[in-house]
Amino acid sequence: MGDAGARPHGGPQESTAATAEESAEESAEESAQQRMHDGSHDGSRLVMPAPDAAVLARRDQIVADLARLVGADSVIAHERAMRPYESDALTAHRQLPLVVVLPATTDEVAAVLKYCHDNAIRVVPRGAGTSLSGGALPLADAVLLGMAKFTRIREIDTANRCAVVEPGVTNLGITKAVEHLGFYYAPDPSSQIACTIGGNVAENSGGVHCLKYGLTTNNVLGVELALITGEIVRLGGKHLDAGGLDLLSVIIGSEGLLGVVTEVTVRLLKKPDTARAVLVGFPTSESAGDCVAQIIAAGIIPAGIEMMDKDAIAAAEAFVNVGYPLDVEALLIIELDGPEAECAHLLDAVTAHAQACGATTLRVSQSEEERLGFWAGRKAAFPAVGRISPDYLCMDGTIPRRQLPFVLARMRELSHRHGLRVANVFHAGDGNLHPLIRYDANAPGELEAAEAFGADILRLCVEVGGVLTGEHGVGIEKRDLMPEMFDAVDLAQQLRLKCAFDDQNLLNPGKVFPTLHRCAEMGRMHVSGGALPFPDLPRF
Amino acid sequence: MPQTLLARDPQDVVDAVTAAGANGRTLEIRGTGSLTALGRPVVADTVLDLSALSGITLYEPEELVLSARCGTPRRDIEDMLAQSGQMLAFEPADLAPLFGGAARAGSLGGLVATNLAGPRRISAGAVRDHTLGLKAVSGRGELFKSGGRVVKNVTGYDLPRLFAGAFGTLGVATEITLKVLPRPETQETVRLEGLSPEAAAAAMSAALGSSCEVSGAAYAPAPVAARLPGCPDTATVLLRLEGFGPSVRARRDMLARVLIPFGPCTVMRETPSAALWSAVRDVAPFVGTPERALWRLSTAPMAGPALAARLCATLDAEAFCDWGGGLIWLALPGPRSEADTVRTALAASGGHATLLRATAEERARTAVFQPLDEPLAALTARVKSSFDPAGLLNRGRMHEGW
Amino acid sequence: MQTHFSPAQLLDPRLAEVDRILRACVHCGFCTATCPTYVLKGDERDSPRGRIYLIKDMLENGRPATAEEVGPIDRCLSCLSCTSTCPSGVDYMHLVDHARAHIEETYARPRSERLVRALIARVLPYPRRFRLALKAAALGRPFAGLLERAGLAPLAAMLRLAPHKVPPAARDGGVHAPAGPRKARVALLAGCAQQVLQPAIDAAAIRLLNRMGVEVVRVAGQGCCGALPHHMGRSEEARAFARANVRAFETAGPLDALLVTASGCGTTLKDYGHMLAGDPTFAGRAAALAGKVRDITEFLAAQDLPAAHGPGGRVAYHSACSLQHGQKVKSPPVALLRQAGFEVVEPFDPHLCCGSAGTYNMLQSELADALKTRKVDTLEALRPQMIAAGNIGCLTQIASGTALPVVHTVELLDWATGGPRPGALAEAAA
Repeated sequence: MGDAGARPHGGPQESTAATAEESAEESAEESAQQRMHDGSHDGSRLVMPAPDAAVLARRDQIVADLARLVGADSVIAHERAMRPYESDALTAHRQLPLVVVLPATTDEVAAVLKYCHDNAIRVVPRGAGTSLSGGALPLADAVLLGMAKFTRIREIDTANRCAVVEPGVTNLGITKAVEHLGFYYAPDPSSQIACTIGGNVAENSGGVHCLKYGLTTNNVLGVELALITGEIVRLGGKHLDAGGLDLLSVIIGSEGLLGVVTEVTVRLLKKPDTARAVLVGFPTSESAGDCVAQIIAAGIIPAGIEMMDKDAIAAAEAFVNVGYPLDVEALLIIELDGPEAECAHLLDAVTAHAQACGATTLRVSQSEEERLGFWAGRKAAFPAVGRISPDYLCMDGTIPRRQLPFVLARMRELSHRHGLRVANVFHAGDGNLHPLIRYDANAPGELEAAEAFGADILRLCVEVGGVLTGEHGVGIEKRDLMPEMFDAVDLAQQLRLKCAFDDQNLLNPGKVFPTLHRCAEMGRMHVSGGALPFPDLPRF
Repeated sequence: MPQTLLARDPQDVVDAVTAAGANGRTLEIRGTGSLTALGRPVVADTVLDLSALSGITLYEPEELVLSARCGTPRRDIEDMLAQSGQMLAFEPADLAPLFGGAARAGSLGGLVATNLAGPRRISAGAVRDHTLGLKAVSGRGELFKSGGRVVKNVTGYDLPRLFAGAFGTLGVATEITLKVLPRPETQETVRLEGLSPEAAAAAMSAALGSSCEVSGAAYAPAPVAARLPGCPDTATVLLRLEGFGPSVRARRDMLARVLIPFGPCTVMRETPSAALWSAVRDVAPFVGTPERALWRLSTAPMAGPALAARLCATLDAEAFCDWGGGLIWLALPGPRSEADTVRTALAASGGHATLLRATAEERARTAVFQPLDEPLAALTARVKSSFDPAGLLNRGRMHEGW
Repeated sequence: MQTHFSPAQLLDPRLAEVDRILRACVHCGFCTATCPTYVLKGDERDSPRGRIYLIKDMLENGRPATAEEVGPIDRCLSCLSCTSTCPSGVDYMHLVDHARAHIEETYARPRSERLVRALIARVLPYPRRFRLALKAAALGRPFAGLLERAGLAPLAAMLRLAPHKVPPAARDGGVHAPAGPRKARVALLAGCAQQVLQPAIDAAAIRLLNRMGVEVVRVAGQGCCGALPHHMGRSEEARAFARANVRAFETAGPLDALLVTASGCGTTLKDYGHMLAGDPTFAGRAAALAGKVRDITEFLAAQDLPAAHGPGGRVAYHSACSLQHGQKVKSPPVALLRQAGFEVVEPFDPHLCCGSAGTYNMLQSELADALKTRKVDTLEALRPQMIAAGNIGCLTQIASGTALPVVHTVELLDWATGGPRPGALAEAAA
């Protein structure tokens, strides 16, 4: 760190000393050029931060020190033993970490972070390793901090409708722990069987029911957070809202760049009285899209509305065998929940809209088992595509819903141009698309083609007023596309916030932001230093 | 009197902040000025008036999204949404009358900056849960954007949410995009009477922990209850049901069964129910008593009613609870804030207490917002500084010195 | 998932199969959540996805196995919970088989481990030797602690698992004809360890089948199914057992099915076609036999169960991994027990292994004990009168951790339809 002595977040003193040439964005680019290099992982053009040679040289000492902090059993240093940690669910990018550490207590996490902070060692946090955006991709000079040993449910408090859990508890594990009391945890990402609540907090995960029940950010009441300094802060709790700045709102979705969550307080909901899922088949995805628009325009917010195209239907059906119609171009799964009377009322309305939009098949779940079966196929749809394709890239853009027909048509053109097929699975209710680009990683050039195709799809999402990622996170996958959505000033402000939490840029560097930066430089004010007249505004 | 600058467009805001920075002058950010007495008193060199930065820039009902400039009157937004059968689901409280102002006088910017969600907070979320996108000018005089116009979005840190409740200390929002939702077709309120604070907490917990989808749960002890429209002069628990007609009727019957252990209930139909919840939302029982210091406490819901009762007894105060017991509105008998007593009592169940209304002297002397422990205080200060390093914007509004 | 085998490597049919299996994996990580060892240890290496990665690295590079791979692969229970969870259809079972064979071929285990493994492989699959060993174990039990301290923990675990009294050997060879008209004709696998530990299970099965008009054949010359050596990577020994069984059952005459009451064996028998695929003289015959293999409950579910005049009772049903994951037989045992008048309840996390897993509770006793405790806790939480399962390994493992009677599903079905009260229940009542 070039200017370690300076206050990370700048201040008035520095602002007068700075000059116009040292604008934040220029500094960011400059330092990025100094520090980014082509990483050693195969199959990609991704540039990751250059490893710190001094850290690499001290590796043996670091391993020994960490073993003292957390016990030798919780430190993995052998190259072959670390191999399973070289990627998360985005296998296109791989990198061995410096060392893997698996702490089991908040104190151990704090000790490891403080050690890394004191010794300027980078840290990459990891949950269950189910990220589709490469959020837990290791760095050669970084400690990989695995949180999988944090699996205890600390408290179930149904009177206050919340539970306090450790971050390594799986999303589904929370619901499993409270379902005998009639409660559940609402966000349900498709990987909920395996993904952990800590990872959900890092990515602000959504799921098939977030149309009505919200994302992680709407369902987490509080966290205990270890800062890179080893300090512990508590944000929120069993009460609602913050008494000061609502830092919880930026922690959720911060992709492991701001701190390491060591405890989460989640909101529990009572299970709805009844829930019915309807499978509706359409001859075109346009007519399915129309149906979604009509339902929402009628003031109905279903618990979930999901769409799958023909390829995705076929792959999912092969795994779950629940009787998805195989002869339709688009399938909607619409879930309605609430009291029996409400379900029946809405079911009638939804059926009418579906028929008006030309639905060719319509099937309502007749039992809880059947309803879960309808969802099982949808939730397994991504990996089930592994049955029809050796590899896939899963995209995650969100678009304004009415742009769906246009985007699907353009996607077909792009598929043709890039010579790769795409299976479509999406959260139709909120416009969150998950095109699964099918490729064969063993075929030379296909990964590159798939990545180029993916980038084109995301550019398209931004072009129609949408965003790069709805729920999977930016990670490394969409990192270099961030400038498509944000200009240098937008990004600089984000980076400054990062500096407030992590002044040496040690936490998960190389993720989310396309450039690295030095906090000291980011902190300087972009002003000429002299007095400036107030502009010509109306005065009173 | 400080000078007031009237911003007409985002560039005016950029110019004003840039100049303030260069000259070392502080700015008070003001919309319609309806809630300037909320928070610590700001002593700024210049007032930046955003009331002319007004107008709805995007409204697509079928996409459930609305964007408007920050000075847009909330009245305009609510009226436009109502025409399409939609609403701001967080049910923003209108606290201007509490400070002696006119009803519905606030602006969008103030509404987001104060994060004052109403009774539906417990089911629909806070203001921040509906804040999708933001354009703002930082303390550096840089116009930046964050978020977008779609609900599902994790592209970068969620700054729109961070701005909700930041009282204009991080930046000057110029345009805000909100998620909007369909307005419920109808509503009813189920009322229980004569419950102790503990029983009231249990009754609200049972109702909220049932599958009846209660969208408002309040408890008013005897002297305060009578000041809520349609309520008797006895401790009263109020539970609101909203939605489609058949659903509301079915859930009313379900709820009545859930509440059997707590005594007989009374049902209030749509119109009286709506009037009642407006009064709860806007803290109507304490309007017209400007001399009385007023606290807003957020705590674990089960602890709220008993905590309120203890504080009332200790301080000779009056109180009522919203949010299933988790939100306490506590009106002291006079202007003294009694901050230590209030916060010490709160500590057992956790949460935060805001001195919502008090004289300027009292607000200058007392921590209006919940004091933060280290290292959170230092972290919060660094976050503020990352947006506004020179402390130009609403300095002192939330915490002394910045 | 991308693989890096050379064209030359892919000429080896074993590696070609490994490549095909690996290509199906998309590394989503769903399997981690339902893997017992990952749930206990929270270490990616001890998850299916981690093991797949370790195996891939080892086999792609054609390296001899090292401790880095052997540890996690040895700790795999082969419960196959991951294969139930995997949406992409990764054939983990055969992948780990290849890895175990590679380890056996290329890795020099420490002396004490070699000793223990050889002992298991030479004793357990052979009923006479096993019976003798159990009798010796009764004498040796006091020395368990000594063995543990001498670094021979598996031997100590064996001693602790050994039953206090060994039942007399069953003499049930030949044909068991039903009293009435014959509706079907089946062979019943005698297996190895089960006939020594609990001959009452097959006795109950024969009574029940006869009662239903099913003729049961016990052929001579059959032996261990091969699962025990197979899971230790001793592929050739396993294939020898398989060939012997193919030959033996070919002497049985026309069969409607080959029934198995130990689901661990059933999983292996059903895979004979794959095991002997490379053996031209046996491939077709093995596949034909494998096609006839059914778990006893699979077969019973397709027949008419005799009217139950049974005693009823609250039964906690433990689904053996080999049955629910290995053979995907989940609902028949529960449906049959309900049909026979029992109240059936299933524990929290029903997909998790009890820790028995063949020889696992001897070779990995620490993890096995942790899994046993977890399983017994969740079963006892149901407040049942008895516990039922369909695999001898589970029965032994669970019984060693609870005071509740633990019985085989088929014993309850026999009892409910006219047979004697199962021994474990009789003992508990006494």
